[in-house]
Amino acid sequence: MLRGKKKRICRFCENGDVFIDFREEKRLVRFLTEQGKIVPRRTSGNCAQHQRQLAQAIKRARHLALIPFVSDIPR
Amino acid sequence: MEKLYCSIFVVDISQNPEEVETVSSRIQQLIEDHGGIVKKINRWGKRRLAYPIQKKTHGYYVEIEFTANSRLNIPYTLEQEYRMNDRVLRYLTYVVDKKELIQRAKKAGEKAKIEARAAEIKAAAEARAAEEKKTEPAAEETPETQASVAEAKADQEAQKTESSKDRVNAPVTATEDKPSTEKKTKKEE
Repeated sequence: MLRGKKKRICRFCENGDVFIDFREEKRLVRFLTEQGKIVPRRTSGNCAQHQRQLAQAIKRARHLALIPFVSDIPR
Repeated sequence: MEKLYCSIFVVDISQNPEEVETVSSRIQQLIEDHGGIVKKINRWGKRRLAYPIQKKTHGYYVEIEFTANSRLNIPYTLEQEYRMNDRVLRYLTYVVDKKELIQRAKKAGEKAKIEARAAEIKAAAEARAAEEKKTEPAAEETPETQASVAEAKADQEAQKTESSKDRVNAPVTATEDKPSTEKKTKKEE
């Protein structure tokens, strides 16, 4: 089933990023689902190293209220 | 071991906007009293919180970078202060590692490069415009300025691609021919 899928390349590797900054919340939002969950590696195509860094960055940003924990609450 | 720390905190300014100054100066004082050196203070300003904290929707973000010996245990003292102060909504103190520094340097380098390139293009265009004004004061204004900008760009590209001086001269003359043909076509129209 997975064979037919196109292989994705890690966007951070492509960019040559060494560190993912939690201050750039606009970049982080791309790796969140509509609900605000972290997108899994199989969908985003990130490499293990960057996925770990990304998770760290997202958690820090959530703590500082830069990005939501859950975003399906009507305001 | 000497380490670089970064501390970010969110201050509630819904009641008193001067609270930011008192809190940040207090934190600075604490760091210095305990033997740390404040390197940088970055005020992000008032921002909307992604979710309400203590029923507040906005907060003022302040970022302080400082170096200290890890034995001094400054993050711990800072945390105690943050906890005691009820104006501080959120705080985060962490050690800045090598990777982040590399990334910052890279970003700064890219920014500088872009700015330098923009400045070069602008300067070249201005120089061209000045030269052309001297040589042909009676020429049409609008196509000239457009041509000068195009010429400047072409010039720069030529300079980048070709290294030897002889080669640089050749494309310049070639680019000078182009605008004239453009002018002709415009006049014909």
